[in-house]
Amino acid sequence: MSMVRRPFLGFLACLLLSAGSLTAQDGVIRGRVIDAMTLEPVVGASVSIQDMPIGALTGQGGTYEFAAPAGTHTVRATLIGYAPVAQEVTVAAGQTATADFELQIQAIVLEELVTTGYGTQRRLAITGSVATVDPDDADVGVLSNVNQMIEGRVAGLVVTRNTGEPGADAQVRIRGGTSISASNEPLYVIDGVPVQNVPTEPGGLGVGGGASLPRSPLNLLNPSDIAEITILKDASAAAIYGSRAANGVILIETKRGQPGQVSIEYDGYVAAASPASRLEVLDGAEYRAFVEAQVAAGTLDPSRLDGLGDASTNWEDAVTRTGVTQNHNLTFTGGTQATRFRASLNFMDQEGVALSSGFQRYQGRLNGTHSAFRDRLHLDLTLTSAHTENDYLQAQNTGGFEGDVFQNMVIFNPTQPVMVTDPETGLEEFFEIGTGRQSVRNPVAMADQLLDEASTTRTLGSLKGSYELTTNLSAQAIFGVDRSEGTRRTYFPAGSPVGAEWNGRARQVNRDKTDLTFQGLLTWQDQIADDQTLEIVAGYEAADYQIREFGAESRDFLTDAFGFSNLGGGSVTERPFSFQEDSRLVSVLSRANWSYRDRYFLTGVVRYDGSSRFGAGNKWAFFPAISGAWRLSEEDFLANGPFSELRLRAGWGLQGNQAVPPYSSLILLETNDGARYVFGNGAFTGVAPIRNPNPNLKWEQTSQINLAIDFGFNDNLYSGSIEYYRKNTTDLLLEVAVAQPAVVATRLENIGEVRNTGLEASFDAVLVNRSGFDWQAGLVFGTNKNEVVDLGGRTFISTGGVSGQGQSGQVAQRIMPGEPLGTFFGPEFVGVDDQGRQLFNRYDVERDEDGNVTSRILNGTTTSPGGDDFVVLGDANPDFSLGLTNRIGWGRLDASVFVRAEVGQDVFNNTALVYSTKGNALQDKNFLRSALDDPIGIFEPAIFSSRWIEDGSFVRLQNITVGYRLDLPPAFGVRTARLYGSADNLFLLTGYSGYDPEVHIASGLASRGIDYLAYPRARTFTFGVQVGM
Amino acid sequence: MKMPGSRYSLRGRGIGRPALSLLLPVLAVSVGCSLDENPTSAITPDNFYQNEEEVLGGVTAAYAELRNTLWGYYNLSEITTDEMIVPTRGQDWFDNGRWIEIHEQNWSANSPAGLDDINGTWNNLFAGVAKSNVVLEALNNVTVANQDVYAAELRALRAFYYYMLMDMFGGVPIATDTEILARPRASRAELFAFIEQELLEVRETLPLSWPADLHGRFTRGAADAILASMYLNAEVFTGTVTTAGLQKGQARWQDAIDAADRVINSGAYALATDWDENFAPDNYLSPENILVVKHLNETGLGLNFVMRALHYNHISPTPWNGFSTLASTYFSFDPDDQRTEIFLVGPQVNLETGQPITDRSGAPLIIVPTINDIHQATESEGVRIVKWRLDPEHVAEHNNNDVAYFRLGEMYLIKAEALNELGNTAGAVDLVNTLRARVFSPPKPLSAGNFTQASFRDQMLLERLFELTAEARRRQDLVRHGKFTDTWEFKGPTEPFRILMPIPQPQLDTNPELQQNPGY
Repeated sequence: MSMVRRPFLGFLACLLLSAGSLTAQDGVIRGRVIDAMTLEPVVGASVSIQDMPIGALTGQGGTYEFAAPAGTHTVRATLIGYAPVAQEVTVAAGQTATADFELQIQAIVLEELVTTGYGTQRRLAITGSVATVDPDDADVGVLSNVNQMIEGRVAGLVVTRNTGEPGADAQVRIRGGTSISASNEPLYVIDGVPVQNVPTEPGGLGVGGGASLPRSPLNLLNPSDIAEITILKDASAAAIYGSRAANGVILIETKRGQPGQVSIEYDGYVAAASPASRLEVLDGAEYRAFVEAQVAAGTLDPSRLDGLGDASTNWEDAVTRTGVTQNHNLTFTGGTQATRFRASLNFMDQEGVALSSGFQRYQGRLNGTHSAFRDRLHLDLTLTSAHTENDYLQAQNTGGFEGDVFQNMVIFNPTQPVMVTDPETGLEEFFEIGTGRQSVRNPVAMADQLLDEASTTRTLGSLKGSYELTTNLSAQAIFGVDRSEGTRRTYFPAGSPVGAEWNGRARQVNRDKTDLTFQGLLTWQDQIADDQTLEIVAGYEAADYQIREFGAESRDFLTDAFGFSNLGGGSVTERPFSFQEDSRLVSVLSRANWSYRDRYFLTGVVRYDGSSRFGAGNKWAFFPAISGAWRLSEEDFLANGPFSELRLRAGWGLQGNQAVPPYSSLILLETNDGARYVFGNGAFTGVAPIRNPNPNLKWEQTSQINLAIDFGFNDNLYSGSIEYYRKNTTDLLLEVAVAQPAVVATRLENIGEVRNTGLEASFDAVLVNRSGFDWQAGLVFGTNKNEVVDLGGRTFISTGGVSGQGQSGQVAQRIMPGEPLGTFFGPEFVGVDDQGRQLFNRYDVERDEDGNVTSRILNGTTTSPGGDDFVVLGDANPDFSLGLTNRIGWGRLDASVFVRAEVGQDVFNNTALVYSTKGNALQDKNFLRSALDDPIGIFEPAIFSSRWIEDGSFVRLQNITVGYRLDLPPAFGVRTARLYGSADNLFLLTGYSGYDPEVHIASGLASRGIDYLAYPRARTFTFGVQVGM
Repeated sequence: MKMPGSRYSLRGRGIGRPALSLLLPVLAVSVGCSLDENPTSAITPDNFYQNEEEVLGGVTAAYAELRNTLWGYYNLSEITTDEMIVPTRGQDWFDNGRWIEIHEQNWSANSPAGLDDINGTWNNLFAGVAKSNVVLEALNNVTVANQDVYAAELRALRAFYYYMLMDMFGGVPIATDTEILARPRASRAELFAFIEQELLEVRETLPLSWPADLHGRFTRGAADAILASMYLNAEVFTGTVTTAGLQKGQARWQDAIDAADRVINSGAYALATDWDENFAPDNYLSPENILVVKHLNETGLGLNFVMRALHYNHISPTPWNGFSTLASTYFSFDPDDQRTEIFLVGPQVNLETGQPITDRSGAPLIIVPTINDIHQATESEGVRIVKWRLDPEHVAEHNNNDVAYFRLGEMYLIKAEALNELGNTAGAVDLVNTLRARVFSPPKPLSAGNFTQASFRDQMLLERLFELTAEARRRQDLVRHGKFTDTWEFKGPTEPFRILMPIPQPQLDTNPELQQNPGY
């Protein structure tokens, strides 16, 4: 796909290229390295003399050349993704010997170097649970960020996109969620620098509910620039990142320059996306028939007939569209062995499948590397600067009474038109029910009129310098800067039914973020005895984080012409607001890797972390880990066995979580709206504590054990891993009620325990490997059991707020000891009585003196379930998840197919709960077509119950891509050219009745699996071209 | 072949190496090591409350918690009784069944209302206590002008929050410091004694009145008014509740009369000539209000009572069409009583334009008193109480009207009820007639000759209903008169222990020292 297949790995080069100066006895070895299957030249392979620091990388055309002492040598050619090949070469002084290599693709490549945090390791030496994703395989279809690349490709990693919106953020869970109140998101490390993955844009203004969720902060990074993705899953691998590692670590290495002539590559595609499914509401004729029937039956007032219009509008069609995406990458790379660069430009313009939503990215990247002092000094500069423009739709409404675009799409009367002609002026205008402020609004008008935009400029820069002090000792320093400036701009026009309330409302909020990171590392490695190697890394890391926000708002505009661009144009000015937050992290860390005869491996890690966010006496914590591996296949007793590789791994470690807001341990006073009060007839500013102090606040701690077996057969053409883990998270950072009196009801405490136990398996196979045809397949499988073990004496914590009219105070989930996070809790729906009322199981409950339930006996049914009738209804965690990849090469054709499945999770269809009510017709509102078939009466309110908890199991054909390599005559000046077509989300197999069972809305602590009017997912068809010159 | 890198070796030796050796320490120092937190956009109690202005900022925040009592404490005082009901109206107001549960009195520590409204009330009232304590503790360490008055004011305010807790829950933990601690419950009688002592200690320090621009702060009259109310309810507040109901404590009728007299005779208050003046948007001018929750028609500071009651089409922005009164309560009023003007019933007009309005189905909106089914009520059922009139200058849902927890009219009623209990029914009738005189034209006084002590006791309850409807007194009054668990529309007889609210489960979970109230 991309010509730069693999990153240049500093460490390897450092070893390989530090050849001494030539002497008279030297000769030259040169040759060419090609892919055994495609017979194409392999660029960037390293060719070296075994056990000597002499070698070179292959350049354009796969050729290499280096000086070598006279004599007979074993020369090895290696490249990640291929099996190493060696041959004997005899060089005479002053002569040139030729050695050509053919490399075979390998399914699991144990020689490969893997970035593991503060260094790299040979894959065979890895003792922890580390997975890699090949970005070349994963960069298919329309992707806006790295989270979408890893979706379904790693066992034990679950990525759930928030919505189908362009550039949407996602919920990423590695081996289940460990935390309840603190973050469950993994740590992202880009080119060795840990980045804070927090929104770069301020939140927006909602319409009657929550505002649209911010887009992913990772949209900064163009997926095509990513060279390597490594996921550290267990504690022994991740503990090197200490306090931030509890939810795993995602390491991202970006592409580096390749030596040789400057090559240029263009990669571009256009894609068309449309909504993959529909909600299905009544159409105009059906709605009209329903109203007429109800009026005839006497259940609707005849005046309802007046509410019927003459049109038949499909509001789902009106609000959605075919969204076109275009993406263009231009890359050029080149340089010498010592100094090389890679520069890339990206432009991406993605239209959402709903009106007025989109995403644009302009990104430039520059990477330069330089080595000097006979290759002892390596400098590496990476600079990424991206500007993203986000056009938000008024969606993500988690409130009730008034609605966003999708709510109105469901309820807006289908007998009314989108546009009408004003009889006086003859102008076309949006149809609205009534004038001025309205709670039911034309959703197309909303999308058109309400402006909600954000732009972010983010620059990520890192400068890495390493110096080889002695053959065994090298020092490295990294300085990283992550600076972003985001602005959110909103305007609700006076002329819209939303903005009429304020006669126009404009707001601008700026957020800037500055993160500085410094790392100093010393790496020592040596052959300490026969067959024993030891590598020790010791380091210091300090990071400083700052977020500042400033916002202003004004209302009451004479004209809508200003939009959000002239806040001074409003005659009512709201009080401006601003804040600043600083936090800091300081760490020392060390890791030692010991290996014996490439057969026994031990890794020990210690990290000592200090975070400013905790209580005065609890700022520092210690995170150790130890792990080992045993390559059984190297043992004599298995030498003749079926295994080409057999390895056992075991590890244990501690990981921390510090993801709480700064100042969480302090009692803070603030002047906020809630503290204001009136004396006389004027407002007084109040100063109130906004938080209860907790000087004992400390890290949340996860201890994890990992047991694994890696195996390979038939020269590793068939290989795989099976892993078991058990994660115990204790001292949970939990927002809990405190004993009263207290200034606010809750505080963050270290209470409780959550356990995740799981099994993961991955299999890779080279099914066919012939010249002209190869077929590789991979399967990942993961199952995780989550259990809340203890809540520090609390019986339960209510969460998962239910959205919609008539649902205030209703929650869908409880966090309870003995049950997993995401447990649904409510009454059991059993049917409908003859008056069209919903019936629920009714229980007689007896309690002892302390209020503990002693018996619960089913006793008939009730139409109004009370607290005693609520029971566990299911949970939102899948029993298992699967990902299946296939890659096929057939002559000039290549194809890949990626299928994903999750099975056994429950989803609460909040959309169906509140829009299956036929009573909507009492207010001229539409409802879901499925409600026509149920016997529930028109006056019955929406009641949360088991009826709305659905099986969310699904199988998704996530992507299918077919490419064709053109062979153009050299006269074109084109080295490579490939055309491809791709389809995302081609089919979804599920029994779930909503848009999509993969859902995530934020509705309280650790809530999951709630679907409410999410932005629909797209089905996308892409056509692209890649050209290399 | 020569390695390209070596060409730069000489130049690199000159520049690169010193630069590298400098890089490490410079960068290390620039990032630094201190992990102390120094928030810049917020402050801590250690560097605040240093002067009078800052103390007033803290006092203001302690008062601000009063606004929230008009949701939690207020709703539980009204919707649990025959004064108010929130029926489910189609898609609106089901809300987990909370509103019907509150009216039917079948709440528990774990029920939707228990976890929401009752728990919220507990937290809100205790937040008032805690915010008062934060400033009181700070006052121990600084000297500011008028320190004594601020301390007295905060103690009185804290006592008032405790008064509401005592009313709802019985005895609760008493805290006078800011430590977050699992504290055991005081008995209800101990809590009574604590509140009484606090108010008696501070009343002399509190001013009789404040200048107009500080109206709304605690006065001596407010302290006496709370005391009067406590003494009136002393049999309840110092009694014991078991699963069988109330075992009465000692009556304090004479103390109630004395406390009410202290207010009546203080010279700081007078009955408003026009009864309606007490509830008007500019009711901060009323001479009758003693202890009020202050409002301003500004975002976040206004009263939203009209939103709860009015129909969607009554005003803009769209009200919520929820709270109504029961038909029986509406009909118990004398139609000649001016106080019936608080009710909205019959054909409706837009309260801002005066134009007739329709319901959402387009039919003319005619409010009818009878609710047929509280589970499936129509938009127009149930008389609405609009005692605090719509503020014509309202900003969205924010109206200017203050809400009095105590006003002089009630002092007359407290004194009257206590006099009747002490056998002076004639004196009681006189006082009640004083209040009736301003709301009947022509006058319609009661005649002492028509009443016995016992029958006037029932009349007292009625008179309090007429005068104080929707003023958060009904639950307390029904409990005192032993009628809280009786039957009325949409509510059957309930267990006698329901005169106390349950301690919500989250509170029991977080504080193992708490004992649940009997029966729950």
